[in-house]
Amino acid sequence: MRDQQPQQTPDEQLDHISQTVRAELKARFDNIEAQGRATLSPSEAEKQLQDLKDLRTKSLGKKSEFANLKKSIGRLPAEGRADFGQRIQQTEGVLVQGFDDEEDYRKRLIETSRSERESIDVTMPGRRPRPGHLHPVTLMRERIEDIFVSLGYAVEDDREIETDFYNFDALNISEGHPARDPQDTFYTTDGFALRSQTSTVQIHAMQRRGAPVRMIAPGRVFRRDTPDPTHNPMFFQVEGLCVDRGITMAHLKGTLAEFVHRLFGPETRTRFRPSYFPFTEPSAEVDYSCFNCGGSGCRICKGSGWIELGGSGMVHPNVLRAANVNPEEFTGFAFGLGIDRTCARIYQLDDIRLLFENDVRFLEQFR
Amino acid sequence: MLISYNWQRELTATKLDPQEVRERLTNVGLAVDAVEERDGDHVLDVEVPSNRGDCLSHIGIARELAVIEKSTVHSPKPKVENPEGKISDLARVEIRDPDLCPRYAARVIRGVKIAPSPEWLVKLLEVLGQRPINNVADITNYVLHEFGQPLHAFDLAKLGESRIVIRRAAKGETIKTLDGVERKLEREMLVIADATRPVAVAGVMGGEESEISSTTQDVLIESAYFNPASVRRTAKLLGLHTEASHRFERGVDPEGVLRAQERCVALICEIAGGVATADVLDVYPAALPAKSVELRPERVEAITGLQVPRAEVLRILTALGFEVREDNPARLIFTIPSWRHDVAIEEDLVEEVARHTGYDQIKTALPPASLAGEYHSSERRKRALRQAMSGRGFDEAISLSFTELTEDFDLIAEFAGRGRESAVTLTNPIIEESSRMRQTLLPGLLNSIRHNLNHGVRDVCLFETGRVFVVSEPGQLPLEREAFALAATGGAMAADRAQAERELDFFDLKGAIESAVAAMNLPPLDFKIAAVKHLRPGQSAAISIEGARVGSIGCLTESLAGAYKFRQPIFVAEVDLTALLEIKELPALYSPLPRFPAIVRDVSLLLDRKVTVAELLAFTLNLKIENLVATRFVGSYEGEGIPEGKRSVTLRLEYRASDRTLRDEEVDRMHIAVVSALKIEFMAEIR
Ligand SMILES: [Zn+2]
Repeated sequence: MRDQQPQQTPDEQLDHISQTVRAELKARFDNIEAQGRATLSPSEAEKQLQDLKDLRTKSLGKKSEFANLKKSIGRLPAEGRADFGQRIQQTEGVLVQGFDDEEDYRKRLIETSRSERESIDVTMPGRRPRPGHLHPVTLMRERIEDIFVSLGYAVEDDREIETDFYNFDALNISEGHPARDPQDTFYTTDGFALRSQTSTVQIHAMQRRGAPVRMIAPGRVFRRDTPDPTHNPMFFQVEGLCVDRGITMAHLKGTLAEFVHRLFGPETRTRFRPSYFPFTEPSAEVDYSCFNCGGSGCRICKGSGWIELGGSGMVHPNVLRAANVNPEEFTGFAFGLGIDRTCARIYQLDDIRLLFENDVRFLEQFR
Repeated sequence: MLISYNWQRELTATKLDPQEVRERLTNVGLAVDAVEERDGDHVLDVEVPSNRGDCLSHIGIARELAVIEKSTVHSPKPKVENPEGKISDLARVEIRDPDLCPRYAARVIRGVKIAPSPEWLVKLLEVLGQRPINNVADITNYVLHEFGQPLHAFDLAKLGESRIVIRRAAKGETIKTLDGVERKLEREMLVIADATRPVAVAGVMGGEESEISSTTQDVLIESAYFNPASVRRTAKLLGLHTEASHRFERGVDPEGVLRAQERCVALICEIAGGVATADVLDVYPAALPAKSVELRPERVEAITGLQVPRAEVLRILTALGFEVREDNPARLIFTIPSWRHDVAIEEDLVEEVARHTGYDQIKTALPPASLAGEYHSSERRKRALRQAMSGRGFDEAISLSFTELTEDFDLIAEFAGRGRESAVTLTNPIIEESSRMRQTLLPGLLNSIRHNLNHGVRDVCLFETGRVFVVSEPGQLPLEREAFALAATGGAMAADRAQAERELDFFDLKGAIESAVAAMNLPPLDFKIAAVKHLRPGQSAAISIEGARVGSIGCLTESLAGAYKFRQPIFVAEVDLTALLEIKELPALYSPLPRFPAIVRDVSLLLDRKVTVAELLAFTLNLKIENLVATRFVGSYEGEGIPEGKRSVTLRLEYRASDRTLRDEEVDRMHIAVVSALKIEFMAEIR
């Protein structure tokens, strides 16, 4: 019967196939349009995907009429062959797109429904061990050490129980000075002192290293203060020392200004006031502008705009001599500041006894 | 010390207002804590450094202010009117201990009328926070505030034989001081006595019996220079801190003794009437020599970086009372004023010049870079330890180094075998029951755990590093070691969860300490069951590294837990950190990656529960089977289905050849051999 039909041109055949496939696609899925796509269930969509796949094979597959037509291109006369080739490609593109669109739609629908089913509450806490916390004194000490190491200082430490020589004599603290009084300094039954400042380490270090020397000594020190909100009989301090040829108070000022810039921020100012310590001459009390109010006055700085950093000065020649350094050849500066006190200021602790109670609820607050 | 602004204005005609005075004094080292308006005056609270006794007076402060303002001090030039008679007819003074009293001057005023002070004096003393008493006492206080010289007025009639004897107290002597307290005196205390008994504690406080009263007619005015250290000691021993002792301790002006006395006597005659003696009994056996000090002008810049013209150096120092004794280009020599006990060396003069030039004038500069910075040699490994511990959920504790005496704990190996007498003991503890330096960190951590439990926190993991101490040979410094300790109790907590997943046990603590040691890049620790005093038998182990014992780990004994009132198991460990830090770090060496896959076989052995995993692992290693490359622990099980006294241990054996993939039959052959060896060695059954 087919033979008897009038011979169709390849163009006509192509139009025919194209129309037929479109009609089948439409006929098969018209009802979806009618019902509204939203009501399509995932299982129906799965089924239709299979139908679509079958129809695609039947219409465009290797054994389809369309494939035959494509194969016949080679037999066409040379002129017009290229045009027809283009047309057949275009038509194929359109039909494939039609199938793809229908399939994509259903695949998306299936995926969306699965994602919804398998969705999680992303706000539930992540799985991780409870982190431990370093002590605020350690955190502050590490920050201070980092700054001074980068400024060329070596970090040193030494004994906590000392002889009078290192704790007093070498620091130019004379016999009969109140600091030596058992009211202020702890003594062991063997007559040794619990170091009342880490300057002791400076003497050891100068004796070991000679001059020039640049070092800081962070550590535990002891003074016989009754515990109260602002005192502990044990605390932590950092003492620094820089001895070299040609060191002046300008270097002391520059170094501590640089230190507070790095610790509290570049806008921090420093102030040096004359003061008195046995181990330095001249001596200076160092203040820095309040990190909280910037100097205008607040609760933290008690309205003055300034916070005390610590004591400093040019190393007393007697101290240099005690460490076998010639004060005519070398000069140096030294400074000391309280780590716990700085912690207390920065974290606004109203009772520094908290530092050594090791209450987990306290320790957890620091990073 | 309180300073009246109005008085300063009289002395220096200052052009500065009170706030400016505050700022300028602060800048020269006399920090003014507060300025308060009081009764038409301003009171400045000046914090005088402990070496500047000369500034504990209005004249002293005025001297500094005059240098600041380039002005002069108008100090009074006292002159007693119409004196009469010789004091030697009225009183005698004898210094028996001139080492403690280099100078003592006495003068008598006869026929005074004791009465309240005039209003101006009452007001001034009140402004300075001092309670007015009577005219004579108030005048002595007035002169104290003016010149800084404490004076004392005795009722001459009450001095036995009208004698003043300055001597050390005799054993057993007592005195009732002006505050009404009966005080026991000690041999080292200097007293002012009359013929028989002490009438004042020298430089500290007068006695009640010789006090000026409303009936007093003749007074003896004392002006003296006492040894500062002696007054400090006495005041401290008596627990008496007075305006007088505060000044004598810091050193008054030995050459100002007579001037202050003249001032006081003149004022008494003027205000309270009476006739002063024409002369003074001034006992000053060995005049304190005037000292001098050299200044090389270039040292000012060498030390402070300030360039101060020579003329300005001279102006500042002479205005402060230093007299030029020698002036040549290379050096200046100054006589130190008698009131400046703090100046002895060139640097002291440099400081005088610097503070009056202004520390704010000193430029800022960083020292030229010359040395490389470095952390303490142990710091990198200690940071690794701390990071590892905090990563494992442990919070870092810091405890006081003082502790109560305890014998409940075994100490680190280095201190082992030392008894209670080995604790370093403080002679003067501040917390009565904490009189020993800690020998172990554990009591501190346990106290912290108790603190947390008491506050409702039941899951606590703490670690601490710090020094521990024991005494050494007699006369030698105590031994100090650094220790590292852990204490944990409660559940294994995850972040942001309200509930622990499970209870902590021995192996959590062991794992934490192993993590720390691994982070420090040290060889692994060995754990062997061992008896430890503070640990529960069977749950306590000795820790060693490279064969040397360094610490212990385990569960706290029930008796100790009971003593701390713990109701849940506490796990603790302590190791000698100093010893760990002495061990060389492991080098990191590459070994080639295996080219062929490993084949693993598990085996579960039912064996005596006393057989340790360490023994099993050591045994398979010792079989020296070439292709058995590893044996690992999988798990241990006791309980249902396992007979009493036994347990089941599962091991995973890993077989591999370096040149080919092993065939199953080969592995089976080796595995059967290993398993049967285990069975025989440990009398194990295969499950
Ligand atoms: Zn502020």
